[in-house]
Amino acid sequence: MRDKWAAVIAFILCLTLQPAGAYAANTFESNYTYDYWADAVRSLPAFEWVTTLDSGKMGKIKMESVDDVYVSKDRIFLVDSVESRVNVFDSDLRFLLSIKLVKNEHGKFVVDPETNKQLMLNQPEGVFYSDALEELYIADTGAERIIVLDGKTYVYKRTIEKPENMPGVTPFKPSKLVVNKEGKISVVVQGSYEGIVEINRDGSFFRYFGLNKPRVNVADYFWKSIATNQQKEKMKKIFAPSFNNVSIDSEGLIYATTFDSSAKDRVFRFNAKGENVLITYGWPVIGDLHYMSEQDYSRFVDIAVTDYGVYALLDKTRGRVFLYNFEGEIMNIFNSSGNLKGNVRNPTAIAWFGDKLIVADKQFGVAHIFQPTEFGQAALEAEKQYLNGNWESAGKAYQDTLAQNANYEIAYTGVGRNYLMQDLYEEALYYFKLGNSRHYYSKAFAEYRNLFIQQHFIWFVVSFVLLAGALLYSEYRYNRKHG
Amino acid sequence: MSGMMADGKYMFYVLFHPFEGFYDLKFARKRNYTIPTVIMLICGVAGILGYQYTGFILNRNPLFAMNSITLFLTTLFPYLLFLISNWSITTLFDGNGTMGDIYIVISYSLVPKLIFDLAGMIFSNMIIQEETALLHAFEAIGTVWFCFLLFCGLCVVHEYKPLTNVVTLVVSFCSAVIIVFLSMLYFTLLGKVFGFIHTVFIELTKR
Repeated sequence: MRDKWAAVIAFILCLTLQPAGAYAANTFESNYTYDYWADAVRSLPAFEWVTTLDSGKMGKIKMESVDDVYVSKDRIFLVDSVESRVNVFDSDLRFLLSIKLVKNEHGKFVVDPETNKQLMLNQPEGVFYSDALEELYIADTGAERIIVLDGKTYVYKRTIEKPENMPGVTPFKPSKLVVNKEGKISVVVQGSYEGIVEINRDGSFFRYFGLNKPRVNVADYFWKSIATNQQKEKMKKIFAPSFNNVSIDSEGLIYATTFDSSAKDRVFRFNAKGENVLITYGWPVIGDLHYMSEQDYSRFVDIAVTDYGVYALLDKTRGRVFLYNFEGEIMNIFNSSGNLKGNVRNPTAIAWFGDKLIVADKQFGVAHIFQPTEFGQAALEAEKQYLNGNWESAGKAYQDTLAQNANYEIAYTGVGRNYLMQDLYEEALYYFKLGNSRHYYSKAFAEYRNLFIQQHFIWFVVSFVLLAGALLYSEYRYNRKHG
Repeated sequence: MSGMMADGKYMFYVLFHPFEGFYDLKFARKRNYTIPTVIMLICGVAGILGYQYTGFILNRNPLFAMNSITLFLTTLFPYLLFLISNWSITTLFDGNGTMGDIYIVISYSLVPKLIFDLAGMIFSNMIIQEETALLHAFEAIGTVWFCFLLFCGLCVVHEYKPLTNVVTLVVSFCSAVIIVFLSMLYFTLLGKVFGFIHTVFIELTKR
């Protein structure tokens, strides 16, 4: 008898064991996405490799590395810090020219009057082309200056060196930069803990910009709170983590990334005050949600933003590209590091080229161009239409994505939203449930419940009357019995 | 069977008259564990039901990963842990309640909580997000009732003054933590020992 009970209990305990293989889902190398429960689920890639920009397209000039990419209306600029060049392609991917020595308006090379040497790029790391000002900005990192050229003729315009009124201790080594429509330059200096440097159009210092909050350890906080001032002086200071890249959208809002492990947020969208106003309705925007070790998290090296709020983040750890929509929900994860066409080893920059993406690799000295797949096209179209308020076409595009990729969770909500706008509540409820959107489900359910009560109002009345009648009758009977 | 019916009727008397009810349960009435055990089982099943059938708006559980046996055990685990810790403490604090007394008190006190939780589960399918606060308030009635019954019941069966009862409750909470800690320690060490034996075995066989 006892053995029998022991066997039953052992059997029950065995039933509590979790099914094996739960972690197998997290080993996808690429082409996956995260669902509501942060599980990795398979997904179609939103982008596929089409072609590569490399030395082969440039005649005798070599391209040893690509550190930054900027796409203007009609040109692509690639920065090569090894050869110290800025290479320019047109939008048909034809090589136009390569800038190393800078010419003045007479067609002669510019000479520095102090040192009597030619003005030559020295390990530049960043480039920006301002369509509004028609100026080309090159962050000449090795020489600690920013060189401004004319956008049409590539003629030397001016040099911006370290502003005299700039406070702070970090050396002025501009690495990445963006310029807004008024000509204000925002510069990222690698390893600087003061923030993004903002420089006026005339080259004077304006301010440090952007708040990158460090994560505070509870134990550290406790010890700091009870330490005396003398002790505090000897403790290691916590510095604000540095930004490593910066981008600007069509409205002039500045986006930035950091991969410092001590940073609280990884991706920033700054308002004018320098606060992070990135919308995150989904999972936190940190790339991969699961990693095996502390060193394994996604390190974002660059961000590319579209006019309709979709942004792509480039991850150095795994060579992946993470696509998020305006509301911070993950759309797609594709690409990986490796040796296949389009794969990267040391990715440095990402930029939108129309609806295509350019991903640059420093180690191979190439820039890969990716075009949206059929699924990607539908997904981008849906976000575009949704942000512009075209609900019906957005709903249709979301339907298209679902036809191809049933794991695309945002689309269920998107389709449901369209049904909700058309007052088709039952369909909306069905899709919101699939999309795990409790917020919208609640809205649709409120309407559905109202309709239900209106249509079945007679039954509510009947049951109320019956209940009241039963109560009255029992009172009456009780009173008659007990006088 | 008629005895069980009487017990069932008496249970509802206890819910509204905890002091008298638990006193009679301990001293006057014949002890029967059928109804308490049934309540405990229903409580475990309610845990499973709550996981699956709570309305979508409040239900964030991954239903595809549901394991009803685990749910059943994890729902009952805190009550059984409290049963053991409270009994082990009150024996030291001169409590007169036996393990059986505490078991009956816990299970009878669970009845209102069970009813309100199950009703809340049904209502959760009819509400929207703005009304969740109301639902939580409704379920809180059951929980408060449960706490009140448990407190009265323990006072009665252990023959404690309220203050002593509070002290023993605090201490039994601490002891519950210690029990969990010790059992985890025990199982980890056991695992390590088995791991060691396993390694030695592999080492010997693969030589």
